[in-house]
Amino acid sequence: MQIFLIILGVVALIAILMYNSLIGKKNQVENIFAGVDAVLKKRYDLIPNLVASVSQYMEHEKGTLEKVTEYRAQAMKPGISDDQKIALDAKLTSALGAINIAMEAYPDLKANENVMHLQRSLNEIEEQISAARRAYNQAVTDLNNAIEMFPTNIVAGWMNLQRRAVFEITTTERQNVDVNALFNR
Amino acid sequence: MKSTSELTDFYYKELYPSLTELEESRKRIISQLKWYGGMGGVVFAIVALWMGKNFGLFHPLMIAVVIGFILLASLTYRFMTTGYAKDFKAKIITPMIGAIDPHLLYNPDFMVSQHLFERSDLFKHSIDRYSGNDYVKGSIDGVPLEFSDVHAEYQTRDSKGRTQWHTLFRGLFLVAEFNKHFKAKTIILPDLAEKTFGNLIGGWLQSMNISRGNVIQLDDPLFEKHFVVYGSDPIEARYILSHSMMKRIVEFQKKISHPLFISFVHNHIHVGIATGKDLFEPAVLTSLLDYKQAMEYVSTLQNTIGLVEELKLNEKLWSKT
Repeated sequence: MQIFLIILGVVALIAILMYNSLIGKKNQVENIFAGVDAVLKKRYDLIPNLVASVSQYMEHEKGTLEKVTEYRAQAMKPGISDDQKIALDAKLTSALGAINIAMEAYPDLKANENVMHLQRSLNEIEEQISAARRAYNQAVTDLNNAIEMFPTNIVAGWMNLQRRAVFEITTTERQNVDVNALFNR
Repeated sequence: MKSTSELTDFYYKELYPSLTELEESRKRIISQLKWYGGMGGVVFAIVALWMGKNFGLFHPLMIAVVIGFILLASLTYRFMTTGYAKDFKAKIITPMIGAIDPHLLYNPDFMVSQHLFERSDLFKHSIDRYSGNDYVKGSIDGVPLEFSDVHAEYQTRDSKGRTQWHTLFRGLFLVAEFNKHFKAKTIILPDLAEKTFGNLIGGWLQSMNISRGNVIQLDDPLFEKHFVVYGSDPIEARYILSHSMMKRIVEFQKKISHPLFISFVHNHIHVGIATGKDLFEPAVLTSLLDYKQAMEYVSTLQNTIGLVEELKLNEKLWSKT
């Protein structure tokens, strides 16, 4: 009887430890996502400024600029899920990247102090977002591992924890810049 | 910033008159040392013979005599070589640093302040004795930096109440301004635990290091193999340690082959290279004209000052001005 009680006590203790570590990991993910959100928001704040200052120069990229504005509006909507935010961020990053490359073709823009300053700020924020994404991906990987690995997967099943999505590198980031296409504009 | 071959040229061409002058005094010192050594040997033999006759060869007094002679010899050696070392620093190292960059100031007797060394937070132990020399301060490509030889020690008492000195860090210590703004602390240490105990147990041991805060797992396997990173802010740590930065640090580590300690505190980068010896001290027994010897001085300076370019601290891409 006593042995049974001791075993029960040990099992309960292990279950509690696993439960707490899972909660810790889940909170870490949420905590870092708040950090990601903060830098994403910084970028949203700069976008209207950028669009306003470059749209008069960039006739051919009207479509891209409109897309950027639209993604921003979508991402700023209250109540969208984290996964949606991640998806929108990927789209926004690739659209901004396209604008960045296109700007090379406009010497007037490059001479504009204001635009260059905006671009530098955006670059810096991009760097911060990249860091935040990497931190988030690591935290999510830790959580996902715990959810899938034995024995924590059992506890995670009871707690009804779900796998989270990681930020993926967008296709434009992965592709090399096509120099030819730049010249044949 | 001059290349290594330019600096070697400078060493052998521009500094040649000083080198030959120093070489002569070196030879003079060696012949004097030989003479004193011979004299000392003879005196020692006579004393030993006399002692052996009167007290026996293994008398405790004999040990005192041996120790006395060793002390006397080392004192004489030091006394005779300090002037040479001083001349070497004034005539060789000073112009070499000037040749690398005229904006650099050199002071052979000064060091990076203990305050900066402690601020780096690289070593948790309290410091009981702090010394150093060969201090260089200035700016490279607009990046303020300073470095020097540093020797930090702490003392302990054993059960018999005897004090013992232990070296906490000995080597080159550099502080430079970093090109990104940050608020948190990020500390990079050589990864001893993972190297000795493997990935799983080592990783667990690292996370158990309570005094250090959270381990930050980074997404560069090669970097992770060499270093362990502690930090208070996981996002900021990755902001500083971008993929390219991690790659550059690994490259630098491969080049220097001494344990490397790096911390990012207070918008500055602190780098400790634990060489375990005093740099820029001339060896009396090897000639300054010796190519290998010359290359050591040149490459040490080159590597340290080149760190600014190596880690691209001079890239002012961001809003920091």
